[in-house]
Amino acid sequence: MTDDRTTLAMLSEQLADAVATAGAALVAVHARPRLPSTGVHWKDGVVVTTEGTIRRDDDIEVTLPDGRRIPATLAGRDRGTDLAVLRIAPGSLPVATLGDPATLRPGHLVLALARLDEGGPRAAFGAVSATGGKWRCWKGGEIDQWLQSDLDIYPGFGGGPLVDAAGRIHGVNSGGLSRSLATTIPVATVNRVTAQLLERGYVARGWIGAAMQPVQLDATSRQRLKHEGGLLLLSVEPDAPASRAGLLIGDVIVAIDGQSVEGFDQLLDVLGAGDVVGKKLRLEVVRAGQPVSVDVVIGERPRRAR
Amino acid sequence: MTATSAAFLSAPAERLRASVVGIANGRRGRRAAGGAGAAIAWSGDLFVTSAHVVTASHATIVTPDGRAVPGDVVRRDDERDIAVVHAPGAGVPAVATANPATLRAGSLVFAVGHPFGVRDAVSVGVLQAVSPLPRGYGLNGKGSFVWIQADVRLAPGNSGGPLADAQGRVIGVAAMVVSGVALAVPVPDVERLLAGLT
Repeated sequence: MTDDRTTLAMLSEQLADAVATAGAALVAVHARPRLPSTGVHWKDGVVVTTEGTIRRDDDIEVTLPDGRRIPATLAGRDRGTDLAVLRIAPGSLPVATLGDPATLRPGHLVLALARLDEGGPRAAFGAVSATGGKWRCWKGGEIDQWLQSDLDIYPGFGGGPLVDAAGRIHGVNSGGLSRSLATTIPVATVNRVTAQLLERGYVARGWIGAAMQPVQLDATSRQRLKHEGGLLLLSVEPDAPASRAGLLIGDVIVAIDGQSVEGFDQLLDVLGAGDVVGKKLRLEVVRAGQPVSVDVVIGERPRRAR
Repeated sequence: MTATSAAFLSAPAERLRASVVGIANGRRGRRAAGGAGAAIAWSGDLFVTSAHVVTASHATIVTPDGRAVPGDVVRRDDERDIAVVHAPGAGVPAVATANPATLRAGSLVFAVGHPFGVRDAVSVGVLQAVSPLPRGYGLNGKGSFVWIQADVRLAPGNSGGPLADAQGRVIGVAAMVVSGVALAVPVPDVERLLAGLT
């Protein structure tokens, strides 16, 4: 019984240590009315938080662990992955110690952390519920790993980190990506999106400028072309990559860059790749029953004005 | 280690459950067994609970072995939402207490109460803060009190029950849930109300 007590007390101390360690790299982000959100000092001078909690582009401030409140500037935001990046003065606080989310398995103890004011870091406790590979969230962005936990994302915890029992940060928790379980945007996605936001202020995604619908090919074409289905072009925008390449309404795209396309997922995977804009890709197309090759120079998806 | 992780909080939880009683208004207190609220055997025959659980001047406690013992509300602080009930002859072992200010965020905590009438249910989580509430959480001005804020599930019936640390020492009295965060009145505030009684 004494052993039980000691071991539990040790676990409790270890969790509190993890909170203190990871909490040293957290700021409170003041970019919306009433309640601040949480930001992670990802690299020196760079704070990451969730896009949904940034309600204004100017007059943003962050509260440091020592209680000081300093100005921050918005480097960029990406709705698709619910991430936003702020710049602050370098050397303001310790930089986050990152973990590898691939090492997390369902059942591992984890914490969600927050900083809401000049007080200490705040914590919620739970376990990893589910892990998996790449997925596309409803906001459209590609998330490199599926990482969900039974943590409660309390008001202000959005943008805060998912932390393991050793205090390593495995990603940024988003209150906006799913309703049931807490969803974490993993380190790889944060790194990828942060690099783009720092470079150009937004995430460039590929675009060809056509509306499409998945279709099955007829039996003869299936046999002859070795493709099951493809994307049927329903409309082609003027002065867009698709029209410039000569794609026509009624064309069925069956492969891009040597890879079969049977639905939107494969196309979006190609268009979502970081370096695709400006690349020339070869499309295999079925036009009037005949296979045709078309080269398309991938454009940049127009951005909605906020 | 294996035996401990399997047993987890069961030993401290069992000890604490022996000191948690049901409580209800009045001399009869028929609802006490079903869980109008919980109270904590603090010392001798004195029990601490939430003021909103015992609105009358008399209360009945129901001991863990099922005895109904009538008592009187001898102190109350409605603003801080705590009350002290004297129930002579209850014979319930008193809890050990600790000051929550010594705990850090992330420390394990657990609650014992009667959520939705389930007797002596245990819920576990971690400490968030011992401080006034963050601006933006509201609470009609009471947010400026020092509250134990914890990530632990509380429900109606937990009111007046204990929030304890990993060793089973009571650190506060469960009071309410605000913005999903469990709030408890810290032990020093309870001790202030008890001053002179023990």
